[in-house]
Amino acid sequence: MPGTQGKSARLDRRRFLKRGLLGGGLLVCAGALPFAFRSTLRRQPRGPLRLLSDDEYAVLAAAAARLAPGDGAGPRWPTAEAVDCAGKIDALMAQVHADMGSDFRRLLRLFESGVVGAIVAGSPRPFTRASATDQDARLEAWRRSRFALLRSGYQAIKRLAQATYYSSPEIYALVGYPGPPEVPQLPQLPTSPTSPTIVPRVPG
Amino acid sequence: MSGPGRIVDGADLPELSSIEVDYVVVGSGAGGSVAAAVLAESGAKVAVLEEGGHYTKRDFNMQESWAYPALYQDHGNRTTDDLAILILQGRSIGGGTTVNWTSSFRTPEPTLRLWAERHGVRGLDAATLAPHFDAVEKRLDIGPGNPDDVNANNRKLMEGAAKLGWQPELIRRSVKGCARLGYCGMGCPLDAKRSARTTYLADAVAAGAQVFADCRVKLVESDRGRVRAVTADVLDRASDRPRARLVAYARRGVVLAAGAINTPALLLRSKTGLDSGQVGRRTFLHPTVPLISFYDQPIEAFYGPPQSVAVHHFADRGAQVGYFFETAPIHPMLGALALPGFGDSHRRLMERLPHVQATIALLIDGHHDDPGGGVEVNGDGRVKLHYPLHASLREAAVSALADMARVQLAAGAREVMTLHETPIVIRGEGDLAQIAAAPFGPNQHTMFSAHQMGGAAMGDDPGRSVVDSRGRHHAIENLWIVDGSIFPTSLGVNPQLSIYAHARLFATEIAKTKA
Repeated sequence: MPGTQGKSARLDRRRFLKRGLLGGGLLVCAGALPFAFRSTLRRQPRGPLRLLSDDEYAVLAAAAARLAPGDGAGPRWPTAEAVDCAGKIDALMAQVHADMGSDFRRLLRLFESGVVGAIVAGSPRPFTRASATDQDARLEAWRRSRFALLRSGYQAIKRLAQATYYSSPEIYALVGYPGPPEVPQLPQLPTSPTSPTIVPRVPG
Repeated sequence: MSGPGRIVDGADLPELSSIEVDYVVVGSGAGGSVAAAVLAESGAKVAVLEEGGHYTKRDFNMQESWAYPALYQDHGNRTTDDLAILILQGRSIGGGTTVNWTSSFRTPEPTLRLWAERHGVRGLDAATLAPHFDAVEKRLDIGPGNPDDVNANNRKLMEGAAKLGWQPELIRRSVKGCARLGYCGMGCPLDAKRSARTTYLADAVAAGAQVFADCRVKLVESDRGRVRAVTADVLDRASDRPRARLVAYARRGVVLAAGAINTPALLLRSKTGLDSGQVGRRTFLHPTVPLISFYDQPIEAFYGPPQSVAVHHFADRGAQVGYFFETAPIHPMLGALALPGFGDSHRRLMERLPHVQATIALLIDGHHDDPGGGVEVNGDGRVKLHYPLHASLREAAVSALADMARVQLAAGAREVMTLHETPIVIRGEGDLAQIAAAPFGPNQHTMFSAHQMGGAAMGDDPGRSVVDSRGRHHAIENLWIVDGSIFPTSLGVNPQLSIYAHARLFATEIAKTKA
């Protein structure tokens, strides 16, 4: 019955919006943390930032430093800073939908907040000024939180940092990956047209 | 016909431009490419608008750091809105076929019967589709499964499943002259993959179609029950921000093939064709649960054809959600994303990368009472995908993890590890009970999807479906959908071949439509 379907669809959409509003609640709260960056320990980016502020960059760089291999890895392993994790993430996130970029910036504000740190992990210092042990505890608290939203926040930062770190060629040998092979010279295969070249149809 | 067409980069378009053709096709992947080819070869003037960039084998450098931002939706960042399921979905000339792993299956007959019996799909049986599958398989050089395609990663799935009597099968692949490098997911640097770009899009261009890269269609414009035009932002490829605008007027019709997330999103954004209330509903993902195993000998799952073996033994579990097994390639970035933890504990897992085998279970969603997910568009035009994991899918995931572990133990794995945030290490049957006890909420276990389906389902009931059983919109007579969004449920197999064949059938019908 179309009528029933339509009503069901409206209800479903209403539920979705409600869930979406609640789901976005945590990030909305980030706006109520005006002092989150008051004492952020800044780091110098390598170049001009495209999306993040200096404070946001500093939080991301501090988190990436803990998400990448730490001191126990030994000197062979470059730091997250050495492969410019935060700078590469800034460049990437400058390209995504502006709304997604804004969410990411709010997430970094939450991550830095001492108030949030105190509530989530009993660590009241800004993330950038916390000890390495406290920073790991904060990441662990977000990661294992019973609140799905905190787990989402952890995954957002974790994935970006680790994807950036481990896709860097200087890491390949350290994880036993020899890198892309040489492309063999095969007989020329039919290819697609390249603008503005015209390539005749390839017999099927 | 006015001679061969061409592929135009967005950078070559002026600030404001317009074109007028018979058919505008939105999207250049499996569905859009074959539709464009069929329509152009019928003598119609065709324009294809593709959001992604135009890249060729010369660009495909086999580096994850380039490939995912350049060739995937949201620059590799597409997920469900709770970030629980990573969405691997292509975005470039050729769409998903530029980055898929070449696996090719016909639509299973039980799935076609389910659509006929429960979803009002009419006149779409195996015999009707057969000539279209035949034609596509010929064009894509899809031959029988080849034992030489089985790398160590796939061999472990094959050996373990065979020992358990679970009937592994060789996967048919859309390749010609494959050097088995292992980089299908980053674009084939040899053009050995028979992607949409190297096949049907080339045919479309040869028959006169114009293909516009870097054009993100924002709106479908309709008037008195007919679509008239689409408007697109022309993107600056470096920043992915609009730099110009293209308006494409369609004299005869518009064919949507932007994929199962972006096609529903486009209709929602356009507030067009929403009468059924079904647009953006019942989105299916084959939610995919990976499991890794450690072997004493190197597996090197980063080399060799990514997928060459499948196991469908558990596809039909009666009243319970079914699943099937395949493998996934593991390059460093994908491996890092999948592995739990951070810092040194994560690094210690990464150091074992060459010895890791990766099996994946794809859950066959939508065949039971699980309603799938939904696509929404917010006020800023951002696409959001909502996909709560229904209890029946959670049960299937837990069952599949145990069965995958059994396969790998049978194949001789030293140990098997789940990808829960607190991983479970399995060394024998006695360890499997821990899987059911582990938490499986959002972001407590790695999940991804490489198969997006539904969201604009076909069927003959305008109250329960968006398009009819030939892809024509129920309320807008010159609007068709020819991508994975038409499927009323998930397929139970990798979707590229089904999308090509359905689109070819539908396009053949569209071409018969009177001007």
